[in-house]
Amino acid sequence: MDFSFSADQQLLRNSARAFLDEHCKPAHVRTLWDDPRGESDALWKEMAQLGWLGLALPEDVGGSALGLVETAILQEELGRAACPSPYLPTVLAATAIDRFGGPAQKSRWLPAIASGRARATVALLERDLSLSPESIQTRADERGGKVALSGMKQFVPWAHVADVMLVPARAGDALAVYVVETLAPGLSITPLAGMDPGTRLAQVTLDGAAVAAEARLPAEALSFLLPRGAVGAAAEMLGAARRCLDMAVEYAKVREQFGQPIGSFQAIRHKCAEMLLEVENSHAATYYAAWALDSGAEDAMLAASVAKSYVNDASRKVCGDAIQVHGGIGFTWEYDLHLYFKRAKALEPLYGDAEHHRELIVRRVAR
Amino acid sequence: MDLTLSPEDRAFRDQARAWFSANVPRRELTTLAERRAWHRTMYEAGYVGMGWPREYGGRGATPMQQAIAADEMARANAPAPINGLGVGFIGPTIIVHGTAQQKERYLKKILAADEMWCQLYSEPNSGSDLASLRTRAEDKGDHFLVNGQKIWTSGGHIADWGILLARTDPAVPKHKGISCFLFNMRQPGVEVRPLKQITGSSEFNEVFMTNARAEKSDLIGRLGQGWEIAQTTLGFERGGNSMARVTRYASAFDRLVDAARKLSRGGRPLLDDPVVRAKLGRVYAEMEVQRYAALRVLSALQKGESPGAASSITKLSYSEFEKRYYELCLEILGPYGQVTDGALEETTLDVDSSSGVRSSWAYAFLWARAGTIYSGSSEIQKNVIGERVLGLPKEIRADRVRT
Repeated sequence: MDFSFSADQQLLRNSARAFLDEHCKPAHVRTLWDDPRGESDALWKEMAQLGWLGLALPEDVGGSALGLVETAILQEELGRAACPSPYLPTVLAATAIDRFGGPAQKSRWLPAIASGRARATVALLERDLSLSPESIQTRADERGGKVALSGMKQFVPWAHVADVMLVPARAGDALAVYVVETLAPGLSITPLAGMDPGTRLAQVTLDGAAVAAEARLPAEALSFLLPRGAVGAAAEMLGAARRCLDMAVEYAKVREQFGQPIGSFQAIRHKCAEMLLEVENSHAATYYAAWALDSGAEDAMLAASVAKSYVNDASRKVCGDAIQVHGGIGFTWEYDLHLYFKRAKALEPLYGDAEHHRELIVRRVAR
Repeated sequence: MDLTLSPEDRAFRDQARAWFSANVPRRELTTLAERRAWHRTMYEAGYVGMGWPREYGGRGATPMQQAIAADEMARANAPAPINGLGVGFIGPTIIVHGTAQQKERYLKKILAADEMWCQLYSEPNSGSDLASLRTRAEDKGDHFLVNGQKIWTSGGHIADWGILLARTDPAVPKHKGISCFLFNMRQPGVEVRPLKQITGSSEFNEVFMTNARAEKSDLIGRLGQGWEIAQTTLGFERGGNSMARVTRYASAFDRLVDAARKLSRGGRPLLDDPVVRAKLGRVYAEMEVQRYAALRVLSALQKGESPGAASSITKLSYSEFEKRYYELCLEILGPYGQVTDGALEETTLDVDSSSGVRSSWAYAFLWARAGTIYSGSSEIQKNVIGERVLGLPKEIRADRVRT
């Protein structure tokens, strides 16, 4: 039993941190916030070269065949850098195609994603905010070997830069997940402006959007996507929270009031201690869940819901308290804290909010 | 990162599970004699003081195996061993700091619970500021003369011996003038008075020492080394028990769900009430996070890493969680949660709370208030985390200005 990172995992974390410290500084994040596209193709290509995009994909499509723990390590670092990037939805969709897709889907998308030529996303929410499969309204009508999708998907991450999108839809009583090219006729994307410009979201309208019949993943792909998306989001939120904690502690050491560093006052010190507690618990929850999903542990789905619901609250508290420790400066646009505060907040309602996951937990433990 | 148990640990778990299920007492143990007999049974089977070196009667078990045994004990709803402070940290203190003669005289009897031990640290005016303690131990040539009052002495009423912190040199700065003794509780100058707590029960005591005696041969370490010894050994109190603690919470959670299924509000089971469900989901998630965190600590201990000041995070985390946990349980159960006698079968809690005592929901709720005070209050833990883990500057304190 070993809860610590292996030497390779540590190396991955250190090199990711060094890379992002160099190539995704806060100034770069701000530039991308103002960019209409919102992400950097150069950065995406470098991530591909570093092997991040194919990290959990098989070697024959250009991947490294690593797992969710390694993916979560990168996601934590991306959150720590508040890096605006469709990394999470891309690798999430890619692993689902790898797991459930036919040969045509795999060869069409996986090498392209691993090499940085394609981006992907998942369309999990609709107008109704429930994530449960029963509330999916989007229809899939099969006509002569072709499928036409009709409906509206809301808050789809990075849809405007995605080449392919996983779309859960209902064909009669049966649920399936369709692999839809975003260039398909009948598919239109309306970007939304959100509080965190580093997490781009869009409304996707499907008006008879055409999909080949074989571009269809079984319904279990949905229960594959949700917990993995939840853990990926938890990892990013953990990274954002850790960054905020680090900044608060550094600031508390140097900021002086009443002739002393404010970190010497218990009101501040105790807040920082509580923040550390939340960050360490979030670490345990996130990586336990990543490991459990990877190793097929009995409680894997439960652990994913525990992680997302816990880290949602914890990261909001930690990032918010960091602003409080900083005082007025933390409330300015110029100071970088809000980059991380907003990243964590943006991920709260995605891949299931805390209430959704608490309900899933109760269904599992109190049948 | 790999959280699967090794084949040896799995085998050990199966063995412990079988042993506890075959040997756990079928009825409640009410007297000290009955609990001592159960303790001996566990001791003889090798489940007490497992982490102690073999030469002192332990089995040199790994932290993982100790945690597994404690976990299996909790899973079987087995009464805890007695002499917890003796086995958990006083014995280990003697092993680290004691003389050959002290080891020979005391260790075996601690393990077998032939002699019961208590801890004589806190005083009425020295709680969080323990180093300000005033109990005196004066050097009388062939012995030390002890005068003073201790409080919050858990198990003091049944103890034969206590580990005592007393001031031997009032002239030096407060941390330097304290010494540590093994102190005979069965002597004329010692009076023990039970303290009635908010639970209505009396696990804690006050201890009055009037011209009592501590033998020269019972000084642990050097004169003036008491504070240092207390600091290095307080950590023995924490660590390996966290898995078992979570197992006990989980068993209480099952009882809670059972009650929520049988009790109703507005004609439907509590369990179907969305507000109740949200609360259950929250508390379960927090409980699981405690379990993951405990695994993480255990993994570090297993590698021989000493958690040091980081053990304050563990203590802060579980004690604050336990308070929230039983608060939420009582919110869900409403007035049923507060019944101490005459409760419906489905609304009783018959698992051990962390005190090791059979209890009601009300008792567990009340007892949880102790956890954030004893062994360093939450505020002290946060000071430790702030200063020693995060490296925040020390506060300016009146007693530091002098020294």
